[in-house]
Amino acid sequence: MNLQKIVVIGAGTMGSGIAQWFTQQMCSVELVDNSQEQLAKALQSIHTSWDKLVEKQKLSSLEVSRMKELLSIKSLDQVSRSANLVIEAIIENLAIKKDLFQKLDQYFEAHTILASNTSSFPIELMAEAVTDDRKPRFLGLHFFNPATIMKLVEVIKGKDSSLELCQELYQWFDAKDKKPAMCKDSPGFIVNRVARNFYGEPLRIVEEDDQAKMKEVDSILKEVGGFKMGPFELMDLIGIDVNYSVTCSVWEAYGQEPRFAPHKLQKQMVDEKRLGRKTKRGFYKYD
Amino acid sequence: MKNVLAEKPSVGFINMTNVLFDNVLINFGFATKEEKKTLLRSHPAKKVFMDLTCFDPAEFYNEYPNLQGSFAALFCDESKKMEIHFREKNEAVLLKLKGLGFTPIETSIISCGFVFPRTVVQIINEAYFALAEGVATKEDINRAMKFGVNYPKGPFEWSEGKELYVKTLLKELLEKTGDKRYVASQLL
Repeated sequence: MNLQKIVVIGAGTMGSGIAQWFTQQMCSVELVDNSQEQLAKALQSIHTSWDKLVEKQKLSSLEVSRMKELLSIKSLDQVSRSANLVIEAIIENLAIKKDLFQKLDQYFEAHTILASNTSSFPIELMAEAVTDDRKPRFLGLHFFNPATIMKLVEVIKGKDSSLELCQELYQWFDAKDKKPAMCKDSPGFIVNRVARNFYGEPLRIVEEDDQAKMKEVDSILKEVGGFKMGPFELMDLIGIDVNYSVTCSVWEAYGQEPRFAPHKLQKQMVDEKRLGRKTKRGFYKYD
Repeated sequence: MKNVLAEKPSVGFINMTNVLFDNVLINFGFATKEEKKTLLRSHPAKKVFMDLTCFDPAEFYNEYPNLQGSFAALFCDESKKMEIHFREKNEAVLLKLKGLGFTPIETSIISCGFVFPRTVVQIINEAYFALAEGVATKEDINRAMKFGVNYPKGPFEWSEGKELYVKTLLKELLEKTGDKRYVASQLL
């Protein structure tokens, strides 16, 4: 598989992380966003990150100069129509994503693979926006934050995605420093589904807003279970609102299946605007 | 470390003067709730410390005053870490456990399945549901959880050889709470 020319749409945290990772694989990457300010900020941040990696001797100056040449920021109408792969990493809004994919389908050449980094929408729904000819070359590629560090890429085969193409992409990522996982187009894919009970069950163990108990649960899961962070400190870091929203989304997508039911404490925290570290108050206090 | 649960119950106690340890822990065997209760009834004068990984310590404490402490462990790594709850702290028991190669972590939380087993069996159960629905292979689910969210092990690595524990704890949680979130995957 030849993946030399990559376009990443969306210069937010995920998009810029994905663009940085592909560039580090010595691919030519065009990073696209509606906001020139966001693009400049993302480019600056990636360059700073590379400079730090040179200081830490993780990358050579020569490698970084080459990467800086390979990464460019563009508006959509400036990018190469012959890109091998386009990855969408914009806001999680289905209507906006579908509108974008319709444009991308028309803009790029027939061989271009279109992929979404969505964490919540079915690939099948987004594929409705593209022509039948493109559908086999449309799939999900779900990266994890920070994309340059987290090794997983969920390769999501939509109803009409070519199995052969998904397998080729799996092998391509496997040959790089990623750990791909092939999965079916189903709510939450693998991680956002299976990880739900890492939060849901501890919430049911503590039941109430009891900080001492939460601290004990976090501590046991780290010490006995070997998890790097406990569920309460992790929810505070992610944002209790964000975590609650993912929980509700998966719960609804599975027809309110009890295994995914949100806990009353999550709603209480969101209602009280105790959203975690970003508000200095979540399950814990951050003064 | 022996890591396979015996299908045939292996029940008994390690005698430590006037303290009895449930030897299920040591043998990685399995005993039903009734077998555990029978053991407690048969030694009313002894101080008993029992493995309650799959059961609700509150129920046992209420029924058996001779139960002085309980512990839970799925021994998912070589560190042999376990959660232990005391009615009253007993240093001799902690020392004995350490002497047997275990790392006891004290907890004040009384919860069916304690903290780690209860949390991890739910992660394992969901992984089995996903597998049954053909979402991904066992290998890819393990890989996704280890490399997407930094879990120390994949769900199927945790459950390997411990399916009986997983099923028993889910059944107990379902009975205790009546919450269908604990219905076990048919693949388990």
